[in-house]
Amino acid sequence: MITSPAPSQTAVARQWFLARADLDALIEAIRETGRRVIGPTIRESAIVYDEIQTAADLPAGWRDEQSAGRYRLERRSDDHVFGYTVGPTSWKRFTFPPNLTIATAHRSSFGFEQQVADAPPVAFLGVRACELAALAVQDRVFLGSQFTDEDYRARRAAAFIVAVQCTTCSSTCFCTSMGTGPEVRGGYDIMLTEIEEGFVIQAGSPGGAAIVAKLPTRRPSHAEAGAAVDNVESVRTQMGEPLPMAGIGERLKLQLDHPRWGQVADRCVECGSCTMVCPTCFCTSVVEKSDLDGKTSSTERQWDSCFDVAFAKVAGGDFRARPRDRYRQWLTHKFSTWWDQFESSGCVGCGRCIAWCPVRIDIREELAAIAPPIPPVVHPVAVAPVAASPGTYSVARLASVRAETEDTTTLSLTDLDPAFLAGRPGQFVMVALPAFPAVPISISRFRADHIDLTIRAVGPTSTALVNLHPGAKVGLRGPLGTFWPIEEAYGRHAVVVAGGVGLSPLHGLVDALAANHDRFESVSLFYGSRTPEDQLFRDDLAAWSAGKAIDVAVTVDRAGPEWKGRVGVVTTLFDMISWDCSKVTAFVVGPERMMQSSVQGLISKGVPADRICVSMERHMECGIGLCGHCQMAGRFVCKDGPVFRLDELGDMFNREGI
Amino acid sequence: MHARAMDDYTAVIAMLNHTWFGAELSPETQERLAKLGELQDFEADEVILHEGDDAREMGILISGRLALRTLVPERGPVTILSVEQGDIFGWSAVLADTQAQSTVVATQPSRALVIDGAKLRAALKEDHALAASLYPRVLKAVARRLRATRLQLLDLFAR
Repeated sequence: MITSPAPSQTAVARQWFLARADLDALIEAIRETGRRVIGPTIRESAIVYDEIQTAADLPAGWRDEQSAGRYRLERRSDDHVFGYTVGPTSWKRFTFPPNLTIATAHRSSFGFEQQVADAPPVAFLGVRACELAALAVQDRVFLGSQFTDEDYRARRAAAFIVAVQCTTCSSTCFCTSMGTGPEVRGGYDIMLTEIEEGFVIQAGSPGGAAIVAKLPTRRPSHAEAGAAVDNVESVRTQMGEPLPMAGIGERLKLQLDHPRWGQVADRCVECGSCTMVCPTCFCTSVVEKSDLDGKTSSTERQWDSCFDVAFAKVAGGDFRARPRDRYRQWLTHKFSTWWDQFESSGCVGCGRCIAWCPVRIDIREELAAIAPPIPPVVHPVAVAPVAASPGTYSVARLASVRAETEDTTTLSLTDLDPAFLAGRPGQFVMVALPAFPAVPISISRFRADHIDLTIRAVGPTSTALVNLHPGAKVGLRGPLGTFWPIEEAYGRHAVVVAGGVGLSPLHGLVDALAANHDRFESVSLFYGSRTPEDQLFRDDLAAWSAGKAIDVAVTVDRAGPEWKGRVGVVTTLFDMISWDCSKVTAFVVGPERMMQSSVQGLISKGVPADRICVSMERHMECGIGLCGHCQMAGRFVCKDGPVFRLDELGDMFNREGI
Repeated sequence: MHARAMDDYTAVIAMLNHTWFGAELSPETQERLAKLGELQDFEADEVILHEGDDAREMGILISGRLALRTLVPERGPVTILSVEQGDIFGWSAVLADTQAQSTVVATQPSRALVIDGAKLRAALKEDHALAASLYPRVLKAVARRLRATRLQLLDLFAR
């Protein structure tokens, strides 16, 4: 790997001031060392890198206005020489030429001759921080492994680098997100920072120091040195908040099937412009060119693009036949697999691919859409229950009563101890009325200052509860038990399977999934009930169906002719699952036999057993694992459950008489 | 009911490929079925087959939804199952001299590939490759229905 010598402390510390009018002295001093000077100059309405003779060739007083699919030169109000950002050319054009003869072959004497690298000394004037980073990236590609590119090595070694710190930025720039700029951090021979009257200049190598020594410089004033720092820092501020790039490599690997690949490919015209202007893209193809007499042929290496339809073609077919395959290849290589190969990003944040895309594809937008940052997962801890001991109760007031079905009613409770509001979906409370034994009831919904309990009248306590009127008092203990591990489904397909009144302990979960739907690959609710009349939460089902956060499918076991929906058991809804079931996390509640059939159906579809959660029902009296009623093999359902991961239950789940 | 000309078998085969029933049939069987059958569109509430009638045709539902209804004295017609996209109806037609077990009604605008039972039986008799390809799929469809019916019988949501 080539890197310029590390600047000595003295060299780093010693800054000079060079007047703008004396820039020619710098160019001349470099040229006197026998180097061609390549620098920014205006050609065809763009600032490109080409050979320059004097400072008059530089784009003094010009700036570039850039956005997605747009590049325009505009006059500056001052005569700054480096008051633009980056144009369509990058330095790889000179270290890694677009066309290069790498060998010649002679038929008459049957021989192959490798082209000897010919790299006359050159100086690159105006290399930005992101471009230095790009050169370092290509150093790793071409020189960092067992097999190297000797032509690149020669050209790179022949280059004297005059870096320029950015004092302006375009809307397409995002070097701060990629950690490559705007300040130059090394890898240069001389560094310039443009200020009002000229440049703060410093050497980064002995060669650089030798040139600087020849220039008509003076020590910068305190204000001039400060202005240089401030001008660079202002670029960082102008660029705004860096993009959330943490873990982007892994995030992209999880999204290889994202529908956005198809959508962006529909926009992409596959011109390959992004790969041509990219300062790190290094793919090439080799072509053979023969003389007309057929005796001598030359082997030419040309820049190629992974967007080219023939790029991944073999005799038997094309490995990346679809445009979406090729776009995915490019973006995942830049931001993900490049790390695997070269231990760095393949993107330096120069923004060229954004400005020079004819259809205005902005990779920043694509990354945000395809692999949005995964918020840190905070695993919640259950709140300490109130009135934990049997016989003690916290009193709540019944705010409203709503009939769900003929025998099922939702009670909305308020004036609660805050612990109940801090409960988690899946938890339950023990509910009591004077003279009635306490019963366990799932919390079906959490609101700002209410909790809902949905109760089927099946025994004396539940019947008494559903017959209460608003204003009545009830005794509560809880919240108790385990809750749905929602966080374990982040980034996956969340599938909720509910049967009958089993939707009640899942309602709060569905609310939470809907509220955070962008954290999941998809959210689906499959709900089966006996008849249409037995459906719970019909208004909520309608609202969930109408919203875009959840896909809702309902079925009933039997129906009259007025029902136009599905008829059949809930497992028939699994026919609708079209996604990769290894990425499904399922939450299942219903009668135990229904849960067994559902679990069987999900596993046969490929859902991993440790990604299926169920809520078990057992006789619960104390709710805290002391009375022994709810024991299920080695577990107390009230304390260790009611929510279990299937692998926690093992074969207890499907066993008779447990 | 609106019958359509079968001038484009390729389109019908493409439709079959979008059904779970048709997707795994051999290309030859798909083509045979496309030629044997007729694409039919049904309006919502249109009765396709009456319970007790001769089971004269089998259909593969391409789109829409059908209800299988049985008349229960004093309760009227009860929907016992809905046929969803990709499933078959009227499968009794692969057997000679059978009657439809339920009334088939479209509950929404639907399209099906409908195959005449007599023609189908004749084709199955003479073309063993067709029989070998089609019978397991019909059996699978019937087995799915049987399994679902068993669960329904358990009346899981009853108190």
